[in-house]
Amino acid sequence: MKPAPFDYHAPATLDEAVALLTRLGDEGCDVKIIAGGQSLMPMLALRVARPEVLVDLGRLEALDYIRDEGGTLVIGAMASKQAAADSDLVRRAQPLFQAATELVGHRQIRNRGTVGGSFAHADPASEYPAVALVLDTEFEAVGPDGMRTIPAADFFVTYMTTSLEANEVLTAVKFAPFAPRRRWAIQEFARRNGDLALAGVAVTLDIEAGLCRDVRIAAFGVQATAVRLTAAERMLEGRPAQPQHFEEAGRVAATALDDPMGCIHASPDYRRHLVGVLAARALTEAAARPQ
Amino acid sequence: MAIEIPTLPEQLPNDAPRHVGKAVNRVEDPALVSGTVEFIDNCVLPGMLHCAILRSPHPHARIVSVDTSAALAADGVVAVLTGEDVRRWCDPVFTAPEGWGNYCMAVDKVRFVGEPVAAVAASSRYLAEDALELIEVEYELLTPVATPEQAMASGAPLVFEERGTNVMLARKYEWGEVDRVFAEADHVVSRRFRWNRVGANPTETFGCICQWDLADGTLTCRGSYQTPRFMGIGRAGSLRLPANRVRIIAQPMGGGFGGKGGPRGTDIAALLSRKAGGRPVKYIEDRMEYLLAGGGQSWDRYYDAALAVKADGTVTGFRVRLVDNQGAGAEGYGTISAAKPLAAFTGNYRIEAAAYDLTLVATNRAPSYPYRGYGPPPHNLVLESLMDCTARELQIDPAELRRRNYIRPEQFPYTVPSGNEYDSGNYGQVLERVLALADYPALRARQAAARAEGRLLGISVVNTVEPGVFDWNAYATVGVPGIGVPEGVKVALDVFGNVTVAVGFNLQGQGQFTVAAQVVADYLGVDMAQVRISTAASDVAMPHFGQGGSRLGVAVTGAILGACEKLKAIFTTVAAHVLQLPADDLVLRNGRIQRRDAPAHGMSLAEIAGLMLTRSDLLPAGVEPCPEATYVWTAPNRNAPDDQGRCRSYLTAAYATHVALVEIDRDTGRVDILDYSIVDDCGTRLNPANVEGQLQGGVAQGVGAALYEEYVYDAQCQPLVSTFVDYLMPTIHEVPMTRKDHFVTPSPVAPLGAKGCGEGAMHTTPAAILCAINDALAPLGKELLETPASPHRVWKLLQEAGSAIANGPTGTRT
Amino acid sequence: MSSKQRIEVRVNGIRHVREVEPRLTLADFLRHDLGLGGTHVGCEHGICGACTVLIDDRSARACLTLAVQADGHEVATVESLRAPESGALHPIQQAFVDAHGLQCGFCTPGFMMTTLELLRGNPDPTEEQIKEALGGNLCRCTGYQSILESVKLAAQRMKPGAPA
Repeated sequence: MKPAPFDYHAPATLDEAVALLTRLGDEGCDVKIIAGGQSLMPMLALRVARPEVLVDLGRLEALDYIRDEGGTLVIGAMASKQAAADSDLVRRAQPLFQAATELVGHRQIRNRGTVGGSFAHADPASEYPAVALVLDTEFEAVGPDGMRTIPAADFFVTYMTTSLEANEVLTAVKFAPFAPRRRWAIQEFARRNGDLALAGVAVTLDIEAGLCRDVRIAAFGVQATAVRLTAAERMLEGRPAQPQHFEEAGRVAATALDDPMGCIHASPDYRRHLVGVLAARALTEAAARPQ
Repeated sequence: MAIEIPTLPEQLPNDAPRHVGKAVNRVEDPALVSGTVEFIDNCVLPGMLHCAILRSPHPHARIVSVDTSAALAADGVVAVLTGEDVRRWCDPVFTAPEGWGNYCMAVDKVRFVGEPVAAVAASSRYLAEDALELIEVEYELLTPVATPEQAMASGAPLVFEERGTNVMLARKYEWGEVDRVFAEADHVVSRRFRWNRVGANPTETFGCICQWDLADGTLTCRGSYQTPRFMGIGRAGSLRLPANRVRIIAQPMGGGFGGKGGPRGTDIAALLSRKAGGRPVKYIEDRMEYLLAGGGQSWDRYYDAALAVKADGTVTGFRVRLVDNQGAGAEGYGTISAAKPLAAFTGNYRIEAAAYDLTLVATNRAPSYPYRGYGPPPHNLVLESLMDCTARELQIDPAELRRRNYIRPEQFPYTVPSGNEYDSGNYGQVLERVLALADYPALRARQAAARAEGRLLGISVVNTVEPGVFDWNAYATVGVPGIGVPEGVKVALDVFGNVTVAVGFNLQGQGQFTVAAQVVADYLGVDMAQVRISTAASDVAMPHFGQGGSRLGVAVTGAILGACEKLKAIFTTVAAHVLQLPADDLVLRNGRIQRRDAPAHGMSLAEIAGLMLTRSDLLPAGVEPCPEATYVWTAPNRNAPDDQGRCRSYLTAAYATHVALVEIDRDTGRVDILDYSIVDDCGTRLNPANVEGQLQGGVAQGVGAALYEEYVYDAQCQPLVSTFVDYLMPTIHEVPMTRKDHFVTPSPVAPLGAKGCGEGAMHTTPAAILCAINDALAPLGKELLETPASPHRVWKLLQEAGSAIANGPTGTRT
Repeated sequence: MSSKQRIEVRVNGIRHVREVEPRLTLADFLRHDLGLGGTHVGCEHGICGACTVLIDDRSARACLTLAVQADGHEVATVESLRAPESGALHPIQQAFVDAHGLQCGFCTPGFMMTTLELLRGNPDPTEEQIKEALGGNLCRCTGYQSILESVKLAAQRMKPGAPA
């Protein structure tokens, strides 16, 4: 289990990285970007991924930050997940994102793995894409033509694929202010603590005068990419925030789910069922969360 | 000279045994925590090459051609091995049953995914793996044999054409009047069980460095070898070398549990060394290789079993039909795994008659290998599950049903219908203690309250008898003849009185070096710090076996005591001569040979050893200047089996009762272990901390087998588990921190009264968890008779019961 | 063929300058290039935790890190724990010995390095916090109970003011 050979570059600046990626792309090279490498390294070891060139963003220390920009939480792409999990700022500003981060793997993984790396990897079993879909999340990327901002809904394309161009570098993740009144929860089901989830659900919603408003529910681990459970969201909109409605939302979510994945640990039917259970649990947890 | 081995610690020639019986720190640990132990991958030899193995992607295919020319030309490559070399130089590996073996590398066809088809030796592992990609193999695909059912169907494709069948072994045993007790039974409780493949997965995979000395035709293999001499004899057979030209040097091992494998990797590395002009070749199996094709897949079993029960709950008969999917060959000695339950077939119970019908079949799954316990973990799960089914049917508390059927204390030594003799025990005492430890009535009250809320809590009370100190005689009727398993040591004093014990095995984790040091220190009256345990290479070590069959702690204790008894005799002779006293007046006590009636008058063993080595003029005639002794121990009083396999096989019978409390999540099928208690009796606890470690470690592996671990294959025999992402070993979150207590009923027949204790928790835990799950499911009228109890599997049952639907997805109770 | 990279890594306080292939893992670099065999390799795909080391004082799996990624960084392995001359064991090592927190010892360096990070950040962890910290390390021998006890014992002994 040793990686196949590859060439290696570790650009010292973002500009250098973009120029390098552009040049390599022009030359037709098969390039992979490595940040923390916690997802890529096993793929290299198994020779499932065998790039000709590896571009290491590890020197882009300027992208390692977590800060508040006028109420918007901005996390540099190279900030480690553990830094996000430990950050009081993240906990205050984006409690759902903080909770999701604590669910990722184990500390050794979170220490090395970066926030940007996870989003760019777009593993369907990852908590992050689903969380991005229920928060107002934007991705900032820099390419040869400068910087652009990509809303979460346009960022995740399909299995391990984002809308980033090959010569673009994800530089930051921006979370719009999370209103203190807003409720949130994340629930996942894994075989063991720390394993990739067989299924998971992230929710945000408001409860106004006892009624559900602006309900957002997203599932992960069940399809090629994280997915909003819009049928359940619509069903719940304006309904009383009560257990029977959350259960019904779970049933609606499960029923409406297209083609869940199957694997040795969970059949498509079981995954569908889990999404329903987890959606109902997440809604219940969110509704019960003290303001 | 008849040697008497002490059977109690009190018989050691020491006023107060200072080490045996205490949880002393282990002598192996300072180096282990320092990271300086020479596990095989830490060893480097001059000129060493690195081996990588190309493995079959197909479960069943004929090899049409193998082209290695590009690989041979690749950077750093020194030698390439193919099936053609193997056919020319080798014989198939030894198997049981005989004749179901493969060569170390496929020569004509591949029989499982992961079977080696070629191998490369290069200057680094990285380059060797690069070269594998340049080897071109053309296959002609054959229909795979995926299941025992397919294997036994008429006209089935054959895994081994030359055998004419896929049935490796079919054997029926009958002990007592089975038909009569079943005919006279008031109840017959029968079920079918499926135990899916699990395996050992030690944290260190197999590894070796082989060097073929082309000048004198001697092969030296360093590696993670559990049974060095046995491995050497096997290599001599497969590589066509005289056995005394194969030297095995056992390195410390990162765990084993029986599933370390090794024969194939060793042979391939050895042949590459031969092709590379005698340069040493290192092969370190990687985890993917281990999971696909290493020695880590065990127990792929289908059971059909029944108990005959009287109206009062007395169990009179036990019938078992086992079909065991051995995979592609018997290189893992599958008959042993199937036949080992004979040593404790009827468990803790006075069951008067039993029958065992076993069929081993070959398929295109990977060959199965030994794993902790060998055969009893699935067998005990079947027996204990049937006991619970009986309890439910008869509406008797499961603890009470067991109590009624226990072998009684006054019945020991007790011969079970399948022939083995249990040495000692008091099962009722252990049961009562564990019920108190777990507060069984409180658990039942908790369960009742939870059930009233619609929750699924389950409790189990599960026993085992752990046959300890294995002997080959147990397997004579299934093709592995022999009586006795030698384990030898040399105990040597140097001129200063320091003690070295040379053994034939190396560290694997159980702490046998520490036990050896405790025993020898207490006998010779020295401090443990003065003792060193050293592993001898197989060519100079005394006959030995190594770890296996819950045996080594007892066996090495016996061997050391035997050697010490011999030393005592020699030292007494010398002291008598020097002190000019009759030998009969002298005794060994606290490290001195001294006058029985005047202890101050005597010599220390150090003085005697020094004198022997430096003053031959003072020695009595006929005494060599050698303060050393060897002794090879084997279990006493073993006999040959009759035609039904009945014999005194395993020397000791440790036993335990576990009480588990689990909860099933109605919505997801997830099982959580809420409480776990153990009381056991394995006789004298030579080092209680070691015993505790064996118990808790066995629980962890049992939890894995019961809930998490499974080698999954698809219908075409393609393995779907090749990484730790899918083979799920329990972490610290999944293993219960158990409550434990114990009794000590010394074995009357074993050295210092100690019984084998390495496997019992693995016999008990899977059964305890499955029985608790079924207790939880009882209100739904459902039973889970398959392992592991994965959430998906449990959920399907809950679906069938309609429970999940009735209760809604959030599990809100109405 | 990929060109070698020059890297400079400080390992256990000692500066090493080497030319390495980019694909070389940090685990193989430590074990085979530097001869620090205490960092054991159990799975090479980031699950078992046996190869856990500290990079800039933070735990990391050496099999999921390339040696080139360690360029310019500080790495600490199990070999850094023991006192260099006296050979005296670190309190974490001693606690694992005293509480029988190991059997085969293959996974132990990974557990101890993970424990080191835990106790530096949290000298008085609860049982749950210990489990959370050790959840990424697999042990096949001990069943974890004695490991948990070892970490508790180490924490107790390492607390400021604890008797030596």
